[in-house]
Amino acid sequence: MENDSKNINRRKFLGASVLAGIGVAGAGAILSSCSKKLDNAALGLPPILKGAPKGRKLRAGLVGAGNRGTGAAINFISAGPDLEIIALADVFQDKIDNCRKRFESFDLPIPAENCFVGFDAYKKLMAMPEIDVVICATPPQFRPEHFLEAVTNKKHCFLEKPVCVDPVGARLMIATAKKAEALGLCVVTGTQRRHQEDYIETYKQVANGAIGKLISAKAFWNQEHVWFRTREEGWNDMEYMIRNWNNFCWLCGDHILDTHVHNIDVINWFMGKHPEKAIGYGGRARRVTGDQYDYFSIDYDYGNGVSSHSMCRELDSCANGTGEIINGTEGYTNCINTIWNLDGTVKWKFEYPKDENGNTMNTIKISPYVQEHMHLVHAIRTGNYVNEAERTAISTLTAIMGRTAAYTGQLITWDAIMKSDMDLGPKKIEFGPVDMVFETPLPGTPAHV
Amino acid sequence: MNIKNFVLRAINGSKARIWIMTFGALLCLVLIGTFNTVSNYTSTDSYCMSCHIHPWAEESWKLGPHHNNRTGVSVKCVECHLPPKGEGFLLAKAKHGANDVYGYLFKDHSKINWESKRLLENAKGFTYEKSCIKCHSNLFPVTLSVNGSNAHLAYINAKEEPKPNCINCHLNVGHFDKNAKHEHDTNFGVDAAANQEKFSNATKVDKFENFTEKIPGTTVAFDMVAIPEGTFNMGSPDNEPLRKPDEGPVHKVKLSKFWMGKIEVSWNEYLAFFQATASQGRTEGQILKNKNVDAITGPTPPWGAPDQGWGKGSRPAITMSWRAANTYCEWLSKVTGKKYRLPTEAEWEYACRGNTSTPYFFEGDPNKFTSKGILKKIFGPDTTNISSHVVYMVNSSSKTQDPASVSENPFGLKNMAGNIAEFCSDFYRPDAYKTETGLVVNPKGPETGQGHVMRGGSFKSDAKDVRSAARDFTKNEAWLVTDPQMPKSVWWYSDCIDNGFRIVCEADSIK
Repeated sequence: MENDSKNINRRKFLGASVLAGIGVAGAGAILSSCSKKLDNAALGLPPILKGAPKGRKLRAGLVGAGNRGTGAAINFISAGPDLEIIALADVFQDKIDNCRKRFESFDLPIPAENCFVGFDAYKKLMAMPEIDVVICATPPQFRPEHFLEAVTNKKHCFLEKPVCVDPVGARLMIATAKKAEALGLCVVTGTQRRHQEDYIETYKQVANGAIGKLISAKAFWNQEHVWFRTREEGWNDMEYMIRNWNNFCWLCGDHILDTHVHNIDVINWFMGKHPEKAIGYGGRARRVTGDQYDYFSIDYDYGNGVSSHSMCRELDSCANGTGEIINGTEGYTNCINTIWNLDGTVKWKFEYPKDENGNTMNTIKISPYVQEHMHLVHAIRTGNYVNEAERTAISTLTAIMGRTAAYTGQLITWDAIMKSDMDLGPKKIEFGPVDMVFETPLPGTPAHV
Repeated sequence: MNIKNFVLRAINGSKARIWIMTFGALLCLVLIGTFNTVSNYTSTDSYCMSCHIHPWAEESWKLGPHHNNRTGVSVKCVECHLPPKGEGFLLAKAKHGANDVYGYLFKDHSKINWESKRLLENAKGFTYEKSCIKCHSNLFPVTLSVNGSNAHLAYINAKEEPKPNCINCHLNVGHFDKNAKHEHDTNFGVDAAANQEKFSNATKVDKFENFTEKIPGTTVAFDMVAIPEGTFNMGSPDNEPLRKPDEGPVHKVKLSKFWMGKIEVSWNEYLAFFQATASQGRTEGQILKNKNVDAITGPTPPWGAPDQGWGKGSRPAITMSWRAANTYCEWLSKVTGKKYRLPTEAEWEYACRGNTSTPYFFEGDPNKFTSKGILKKIFGPDTTNISSHVVYMVNSSSKTQDPASVSENPFGLKNMAGNIAEFCSDFYRPDAYKTETGLVVNPKGPETGQGHVMRGGSFKSDAKDVRSAARDFTKNEAWLVTDPQMPKSVWWYSDCIDNGFRIVCEADSIK
């Protein structure tokens, strides 16, 4: 049995999977071995495109037709020529109706027979042979099984972040990512910072040694309270929870996953690895529904004395802000557009484009939400393979490690969380009463990791 | 021109160099061609099988999935038993070839223990992981199950030794083994002795003498031997042949009387516990949570066949975890109303010695019994005395044996040495004896340590490791390398097949 095309030994296999997991070896690790400036391809960075290239028509189906799902579907068709949304799946008819209306308003109607409702709607959509790409944008609880179904049906995927809510889901994501890779199916995840030109150019500066060796980091997502739904008459337990999914840990994973995962992902990206352990705390102050926390403060230990302070909060009338800071031996950066010397003087700044009046804009021209779809379509049409599922699963699991550290009060190691059998949510997903207790986690009490 | 002139001219003439070079090149081609032909010929299945006449090599390969599969692909001997070409193929071929030719010519084939060659640790010596990966380059085919995915993720993420090897899990894919199972055995132990009359009460004991315990609600009974109180020298003296430093210094220990199981806990006994307490259908995590409820929660269904297909009955139960063995004692105490537990290390050695102070509880010299060393390989070790008392490497056929096959020790106990390595309640520390001074009474071992003490050696052990003082310990991580569950089982070891235990009953159990 000769098989020269895939003649890999275990060491190579390991190397490849480690790289795939993180992107590349990380900004800090690369500079030590290179004196030459590295470009996008060498650093494993996506191309910055003005639009997706022409090519064969790509038809997509949307699973999860709520706000973000509809947004992602519009981002997809905006990415380039010959891109269509031809099918929808959701558990609620009203979500389907609203999404269809949006597309009708663009004069891009989605046929009624291609719209599926219910918990198995995704299966019907993914079974459609004419669909090339699936956009998965349900609450993250369902992402792993949807991704597996999509890959089993040989579809390219766009996956919204976060990509799971528990370690069982994270492992399924990683394994399915590897299956997709073996089949040559492209996967882009909604971690738009990784597709944003300013972030990418800053990463290149850091990777080429602009701040020296990375020694510490800070990541933060502090904002006002987010939406919640109060229960309406006639809603059973399951319907209520899914309509209010952003407030239940088993559906959402808590906001350290839902939003803060973006910042955590940036730190993992720049560090070139995931942390080895986490210790931290959090609590609930003002939430009115669900079982989640209002704030987290986590210390992620990346080994060798390098750590990152992660904080996220959803409370009104507090000092707010979102971003990342990484400190190096020769300077520091906000990861998005500026590098400072140690004395606080600016060493480098990303040059934003000018608007029609000649004034410098404060953002990049193409929305990163569209850029990531351009990248996906580019990969499918040109054969420049992309698969971000594993690294986003690792960033999501990093957030889960932090969440568990806060919920339990314990020191949580990567090894423990990677092997954990934590599997949130009811065993059976169906409308009707749900026999679950929603206690806010109390640190220091016996907890299951 | 005759040939002689032609040759002379070729050698001496101006074109001599060209001729010699041409001839050299041709010779090289012929040699390379011959070498390749020989190498290829000696790599065919029929060539391999012309010598490998041991039982079932060809038959079991034909029945296994590397020949018998729906794709019609047949994988040849050398594709698994040698590394891929260019990755040590020729070197390995030379090494195995020399070894096999020597064995073929000079060894008595009927005396070779073929069965043991199939054991995992031996198979690793002649099955090449590189060759597995060469063909199976995609570890995540789309049809892979969730359990399979978890196992392969653990495999590629393994950083610390012992790293799992493909054949840790896929041992029988090359040669078919009808006993091998790769699944939870949910029927495990279900049918034992369904129609016999069950004991309604445990044996009532009012005197300190041997008795036969009956497990209420089952058909299972077993013998307990009364071990008198006494004082003995624990550990081995510096001059004992083949001893290890952790066996010293020798120190005096005084023990109260106790009962000890005549044989190692058998499958009959262990299955009674399994049936009464098995936590079928629950996950490991849930069981840990339920620790505080009244009922004793017992093992989950085992993965594969814990008895290795060797049979159950009065053979010793194996592969249960140290924790499971303790839970067994807890359960047995509850159903019999007596105080059962694992022996302390001191009780174990005292019971094993049976008032002897020699390396073994029978006469003999470890130097003569051991199989280590080149001379022993040629002439074979001495087996006088030891073979009738101990199931060990030389006589075990690489399996546990029924206790009926050996004689008792001076206290009337069987298999204290060999058969299976037995758990003790003590933590293991290599320097545990160093702190013991004067007369030590009923010692319980150090406060902490690396794993727990195991004693007596097993069917795999060399004669030197079944000495009365020889010590060993549990290796939890290594023994769970291939357990595909996350988290790993707390009830069964996936990668240790020669561990078990023996129980003691406390003397104040007399009613």
